[in-house]
Amino acid sequence: MAAPARSGHGQPAAGPRAAMGRVTASAWGGPLAVLAIAACAAGVAATAEGYYTFVLATVAIHVVVGVGLNILLGLSGQVSFGHVGFFAIGAYATGILMLEGLGFWSAFALAGLVSAACGFALALPALRVTGPYLAMMTIAFAFIVEHGAIEWRDLTGGANGLMGFASPTLLGQVLDDRALALLAVALAALALLFFHALARGAWGQAMRAVRDSEVAARSLGLDPVAVKTVSFTLSALLTGLAGALFAPLNMFISPDSFPFFQSILFVLIVMVGGAGTLLGPVVGAAVVVLLPELLSGLAEYRLLFFGALMLGVLWLAPRGVVGALATWLAREDPRTAGDAAPDPGPALGAADGARPPLEVRELGIAFGGVRAASDVGFVAEPGRITSVIGPNGAGKTTVLNLIGGYYRPDRGSVRLGRELAGRPAHRVARAGVARTYQTTQLFEHLSVLDNVLVALRRGRLGWLLARAAGPGDRALAEGLLAFVGYAGPLARPAGELTHVDRRLVEIARALATRPTVLLLDEPAAGLAREDKQRLGALLRRIAGSGIVLILVEHDMSLVMDVSDHVVVLDAGEPLMAGTPAQVRADPAVHRAYLGGTEFEGRPRDVPWQGPAEPLLATRALGAAYGAAPAVRAVDLEVRAGETVAVLGANGAGKSTLLRAIAGLHRPVDGQVTLDGESVERRPAHAIVAAGLSLVPEGRQVFPELTVRDNLVLGGHGRRERVRDEEVEAMLDRFPRLRERISTRAGLLSGGEQQMLAIARGLIARPKVLLLDEPSLGLAPSLVAGLYRVLADLRDERTTILVVDQVAHLALAVADRGYVLENGRVAHAGDAERLRGDPAIEQAYLGE
Amino acid sequence: MLFVSALVTGLGLGAMYGLLALGFHVTYVVSNTVNFSQGSSMMLGAVAAYMLAFGLGWPLPLAIGAALAICALFGLVVERFLVRPFAERGSNGWLMATVAGGVVLDNLALFTFGKEPRSFPSPLAEEPVQILGVGAYPLQLVIPVVALLIAAGLSFVTRRTRMGKAMLAVVQQPEAARLMGIDTRRVIAVAFALSTVFAGIAGILIAPLFNVAAGMGTVFGIKAFATAILGGINSAWGVVLAGFLYGLVEALTTAYLGSTWTQIVAFSMIIAVLFLMPNGLLGRAAVQKV
Repeated sequence: MAAPARSGHGQPAAGPRAAMGRVTASAWGGPLAVLAIAACAAGVAATAEGYYTFVLATVAIHVVVGVGLNILLGLSGQVSFGHVGFFAIGAYATGILMLEGLGFWSAFALAGLVSAACGFALALPALRVTGPYLAMMTIAFAFIVEHGAIEWRDLTGGANGLMGFASPTLLGQVLDDRALALLAVALAALALLFFHALARGAWGQAMRAVRDSEVAARSLGLDPVAVKTVSFTLSALLTGLAGALFAPLNMFISPDSFPFFQSILFVLIVMVGGAGTLLGPVVGAAVVVLLPELLSGLAEYRLLFFGALMLGVLWLAPRGVVGALATWLAREDPRTAGDAAPDPGPALGAADGARPPLEVRELGIAFGGVRAASDVGFVAEPGRITSVIGPNGAGKTTVLNLIGGYYRPDRGSVRLGRELAGRPAHRVARAGVARTYQTTQLFEHLSVLDNVLVALRRGRLGWLLARAAGPGDRALAEGLLAFVGYAGPLARPAGELTHVDRRLVEIARALATRPTVLLLDEPAAGLAREDKQRLGALLRRIAGSGIVLILVEHDMSLVMDVSDHVVVLDAGEPLMAGTPAQVRADPAVHRAYLGGTEFEGRPRDVPWQGPAEPLLATRALGAAYGAAPAVRAVDLEVRAGETVAVLGANGAGKSTLLRAIAGLHRPVDGQVTLDGESVERRPAHAIVAAGLSLVPEGRQVFPELTVRDNLVLGGHGRRERVRDEEVEAMLDRFPRLRERISTRAGLLSGGEQQMLAIARGLIARPKVLLLDEPSLGLAPSLVAGLYRVLADLRDERTTILVVDQVAHLALAVADRGYVLENGRVAHAGDAERLRGDPAIEQAYLGE
Repeated sequence: MLFVSALVTGLGLGAMYGLLALGFHVTYVVSNTVNFSQGSSMMLGAVAAYMLAFGLGWPLPLAIGAALAICALFGLVVERFLVRPFAERGSNGWLMATVAGGVVLDNLALFTFGKEPRSFPSPLAEEPVQILGVGAYPLQLVIPVVALLIAAGLSFVTRRTRMGKAMLAVVQQPEAARLMGIDTRRVIAVAFALSTVFAGIAGILIAPLFNVAAGMGTVFGIKAFATAILGGINSAWGVVLAGFLYGLVEALTTAYLGSTWTQIVAFSMIIAVLFLMPNGLLGRAAVQKV
């Protein structure tokens, strides 16, 4: 199975990360706290001496900025280092309009609108990029505003700034500093209440969904660009309003009032308090504004202090003060969907009678000249399960991506009553196509219930503060969760779910869009046998409600059990289609999966003999991708000079086993010993140094380096340099490489790259050579040559552990074999015995 | 006249931006992270060289060597404490952490070095020479040459040395690199050290033309990052080219429109380019899979 590119990323969230889902959970606690704090602040403002009211007003203004930035950073997960630009725009707009004679209130409102318009205009180019690129866009914006303020002298007064604004009035009364402070406190309270309503409403939920997984959000009908643009615009609006109050409060503004560093302090406000939390900006603004006041004798150290504070928060409380407190105080609501949940059947059934079938015709796409799918066609009928199967690299997921709108097909059509091909994913989703993913794409920080609720709207969010869900929606969501068999707490953040629950919740979420077509990408991967049986029953029930169900799956027992119709792909092209029985009986399918008779391996002349002591051994080895176990309690031994094969269907855990042994994927439990040393805790490069070499799946040669450089790099982990004679010896073994010694490896053919990868592994002079799917994607003639080389190596007493889908071939050269099923060793024994064993065929094609 | 002198200034400035941006580039390609305190690293190089040479009276070459060693050490510290703890758990906290690290370093320098900017005497910045009718210090002509030599040197080192090839291996196939016995953590640490050394060289080169001050790197660092983004951060020649482009745009804007327009024009160019080419001038898009 395809492994995630880099381990360590995308692990499921542990406790603290998940707190974001809970913080805004209390419906009334938040607003009450806001009102209480506002009342206290108002009390202080009404009684305190002049300077303190000014400081309080400054804190309140910073709270408003913090809330604005929190919408962007906390809800949408986008960082901006340019918010001082919006703040300045708000301040200048009010100042200029008031000097032109406009009243404060009109100027205030207009300033907010101008700032929001600037935010909208900046969002258009800025949101095409992410990460450092977005940060750069916002920095550039802040500088343009700052220097614009200096240069546009007629309007802004240039470096001298603006002053002499008329005092704001309310009902004919002039507002003094005290009144302005009260006004700032009121604005801060309103901003916080607005954030509360937004975060809990449909838009806030959509923003967090887009933040957690844009891919999944699109497949629920959400348009990430629209959602992020709204977030950016709102953020600019609030920051602009804060600036609009800053001008009359300070009576004077100039470009120096808005230094670039202020943007970083704004981000600090959100981070100190806790991104995504309601009260975080209050804490953050208090810290950022008050601490310099308290340390006024140490004013010089102000920035040093802020730098250190920022580092302290990042190291010790990455969720911020409020976030950390909330995690600490939070108790999970234990309520589950329960038996009272209504049957979602009526909601899933076709509202308007018969549903159309999904018709796929002549669908094709190529990536960089490689045809990933071509001429794929089938008709999937409502109420039936259509499975798409095929060996690794057959193009199954590509076909799902084409149907779902994630890829734009080069040619062909996808019809569901009307043409869908070429439409963007969120439009396809709104037309009634839902899906799940090979690696589950849940919204990690949202609760299980929210994951389902966000899907119920199919991307139609309503007005800005529309509620996320009514009681009816909630009942339907609970019903769907009960329907798929999820029995855990509804409030649990999706990032904390076990693997099987992740699969179930993802299916419930897809069903919540009340789809006409449901695409499932390997829903059984990583599931235990009993869970797979339950899944099979669930799939039948879903199909029973009249949905067009399309299943991509490696587990052949499941496919053969539940499918009405099976489409077999091989190398991107349709191989055959028919009933499960027809497919199982088809010789072409057997060849595609197990390797045909055109492959001939050369067995050993004399049976292997050697010490019984293993050179490489695993004991109770377990490995997982996040919560999904991939290898369970595997005991395996390879003795010196022996060649051992690991077999099993796609997704059985073969590659993961090799990766765990080689240190690319840290095992969760068990031991790996190499020549008596325990290596399971060592990093990959240290395991190489200990004498283990893995030739990885997909060859992974260094494309921009020459063949010679690739070979020499193979010896990087050794103590002594690679000598020229060693390179020569490899070239003797692989003569094709000699002709191409100075060619860049990326230009080699697949077969040549595989030879190079093996040579590169051998040059390290390993005690054990591991090979992961060496024949994958190679033409049959090349595979034969490859296996001749392996037989030679074996006869020279190289110790080899090989994983290969082409079971017949691997067993021909091997002395012994292990068959993996579902991550466990299902069979083991002499290669000769396994060759005739029907259990092998069952492991690949189901019972 | 105006044009030629703008050209000289622009190429000099541009070389500095390119050199700093090359630092952003090397860390980005090996680790997908950057050191946002590059501007402070530049200041560190200049301030350390100044203090060693004119404070302690060390011979200039020795002072420069020691200053660059201090920069390298700073790069290692940044990687170890401000980047690695976040990057290894998939968090982008390194972004704020390196910004904070730069703020801390700038202010520490402020207390040890003082607030007053000081001039950095250099034999190459005393007597202007005449080229095409304008006066320019020899140093201004040397700077672009040095920057190009360093860029070429980087390209040579990565292609020819063991460590350099290990670096390329990590860039091209991070996982296979580990299978070759390459310690990717070490390579990443070296990349950070290299990036701060580039910044230090830039700081020392430019110190005689501008004054040495604790805050000298901030705006420079931001513009260098803009340059890296403009060129396409994963392309070495892209960022060097963008450095010269950015420097020239700045100098020509200053010459013909006045200095206050410089930032407006240059930063607007960044937004416009990113809008039209989201991966920069010579950058390549990463492929996303589900």
